[in-house]
Amino acid sequence: MANEEISTAEALRKTRTYGKIRCHNPSCMGRLTPEAGQAHVKCPECGMEFRVHWIRPDFPRIRGPVWEVNRKIAEEALKKKEKDQ
Amino acid sequence: MALNRKIAYIDLTTGDIQVKPIPIEIRKRFIGGRGLDAYLLYNHTEKGVDPLSPDNVLLISAGLLAATCASATTRTHVMAKSPLTGLLGSTNMGGFFAPELAWAGFHHLVIRGKAEKPCYLFIHDGEIEIRDAKNIWGRSTTETQWAIREELNDPEVKSLVIGPAGETLVRFANVMTGIKDSGGRTGMGCIMGSKNLKAVAARGTTDISIAYPEEALEFNKRFIDQIASSKVNQTQGTLGTPFIWGATNSWGGVRARNFQYNQCEYADDIEPERIDEIATETMGPHHMAGCFGCQVHCRARYKLPSGPYAGKYDEGPEYTALGAFGAMPDCRNAETVLTCNYLVNQYGMDVLETGAMISWAMELFELGILTSEQTDGLELRFGNDEALIEMISRICSRKGWLGDTLADGGIPASEKIGKNSFDYLVQVKGMNNLHSDERGTPALALNVATASRGSDHLRSRPAIDLYHLPEQVLRKIYSNPVPYDGPLSSDHTVYEGKPWQVFWQENCYMAVDCLGICKYHTVFLGPTHPNFEDWAKVIHYNTGLEFTPKDIWDAAVRGNTIERLFNLREGLTRNDLQKGDMLNHRYFDEPCLRGAPDVVGRKIDKDKFIQMIDELYEHKGLDKDGVPKPETLKKQGLEGEPSHRL
Repeated sequence: MANEEISTAEALRKTRTYGKIRCHNPSCMGRLTPEAGQAHVKCPECGMEFRVHWIRPDFPRIRGPVWEVNRKIAEEALKKKEKDQ
Repeated sequence: MALNRKIAYIDLTTGDIQVKPIPIEIRKRFIGGRGLDAYLLYNHTEKGVDPLSPDNVLLISAGLLAATCASATTRTHVMAKSPLTGLLGSTNMGGFFAPELAWAGFHHLVIRGKAEKPCYLFIHDGEIEIRDAKNIWGRSTTETQWAIREELNDPEVKSLVIGPAGETLVRFANVMTGIKDSGGRTGMGCIMGSKNLKAVAARGTTDISIAYPEEALEFNKRFIDQIASSKVNQTQGTLGTPFIWGATNSWGGVRARNFQYNQCEYADDIEPERIDEIATETMGPHHMAGCFGCQVHCRARYKLPSGPYAGKYDEGPEYTALGAFGAMPDCRNAETVLTCNYLVNQYGMDVLETGAMISWAMELFELGILTSEQTDGLELRFGNDEALIEMISRICSRKGWLGDTLADGGIPASEKIGKNSFDYLVQVKGMNNLHSDERGTPALALNVATASRGSDHLRSRPAIDLYHLPEQVLRKIYSNPVPYDGPLSSDHTVYEGKPWQVFWQENCYMAVDCLGICKYHTVFLGPTHPNFEDWAKVIHYNTGLEFTPKDIWDAAVRGNTIERLFNLREGLTRNDLQKGDMLNHRYFDEPCLRGAPDVVGRKIDKDKFIQMIDELYEHKGLDKDGVPKPETLKKQGLEGEPSHRL
């Protein structure tokens, strides 16, 4: 039993990362590694900023956006798209 | 053993009860749970049956693996023709009822007729009694369950119940067990109410012997380790399902103000971390609980900290409640969300449908389509928390013109309200959309448009499409157990390859619904979660049945096809905005105004969307009208259905 071949799901387990979070811009999804206890994180790829919550001292997650920053980015992006159209 | 659990046919009009075994060849074709329920519904209802008539059948089932040594085999499934949509009614809930039903000797109940007066069923160790419900009719969902336990003098009885909303025939009344485990979608509580059936109680002590117990336990250890070690489930075990909110609201995937925006800005008070703090304050640090046999423990417990219901105990809120009572009505206050959650749980009403109906009415009121006269003076505006709470009670009791109108569901309500109110109703097949906004995600839009029970995220949503997974990872998941070498893309904004992902997920979710396993234990939110290969082993070790992964896939495909046959028989036509696989025009006409830079400005391209539906139909073996081709039915062995074999 224990020697049975591992399944696809088990094989994919090595792709998991701990201590890192992904940027919540779905077209970016850059890997972010906040310092322990850090309350905010900025994505170096797309510039979006997020508030960080710590599930455990070694386990961060994004709590939500830094509204002012991300709203400005969104408004600029929308303006540019409307202009391009 | 699991395979000797029976099916019971119960006629509430005559009191007749018949019990039959479930033949193995039927198991091999439909497995159990939702798949077998779909077969039974198609076979035991006539075309065009009135959902609220005694001739509509109500199906209640446990999955094949209920109460075995497999993980999280907790799910109860309920099915009937829906009083909300006139199409397939189907709902699925966690808790502890399904294992109890299995221990009591049954996997499936087929209930027809209508009792002369309110009744409930008591099922125990192979026996079924129809009992008088005069002492529990009119009570809330929680009160009903406690009253049944007292009446039967057994604290271990588990019950499926309806609340007052099921009794008043609210078309989206739910079926509940425990404090918050809800079979919410498609109005199955209304069906119970129409049959004068207040509850189904179960208590079982019969043994379910396991075919290969050592192997079953050993494999389950691997299964548990795979589940419990994932980040997504560790997060869920801390914050509950609302943890999803942080992600979706960050990038702009949440319906806000009905469908005006795709993000609920500055909603910090209803973030899951805030709800968690409230739960910690009221219930202590260990406030998470789990369903039967589950290690994730995503059920948050809380007491209302303030407001008119301060001190009341409840569970949740789920991710869906944050949308239904937060973003959609634009009420960004934790106390409001928790209060609304408590009320719908006690009344027995679907969280999603309730919140969506009221938010739709708020938009109509602000547009002047609904008048103050119709709201009986209520200022039904976005952000009016008191109006939101008041409308929940009015719908449950059908109080006032608007309460009664909204209780009938979106399409009938739009016909009564008139003007262009239907244009603002964000629904598919008569059921309101989840609070998610799919304009930036074509794959998810395809899912809600084509889901068999109306707009829904739990039928075929490829949620991992948003994870930007490398193509080779996607290919490993989506090329198994049937080969697929077509396009797959990590980009959530493209249309290519998405129909296959939706098709795969549709079969994945049908499979777990047949087995009775929670979706959080498969490829829903976690790409590294168990799927077909793993289930083949779980089935074998627990029941002795031999299924290859492809056999499970085939049974799932068959279950989905028979659901399609039912919907077609009841009037589904491809492009019908009320009964078809089509989205509200707002998906195609109104761009996203908020969210991530690549999401703002996005809407669904209708031509590409129609191409996706064509492609999905191809995968499913349907013709251009969405009807199964004769060769598809033959290949799946469904050409003779309804066959009335069970």
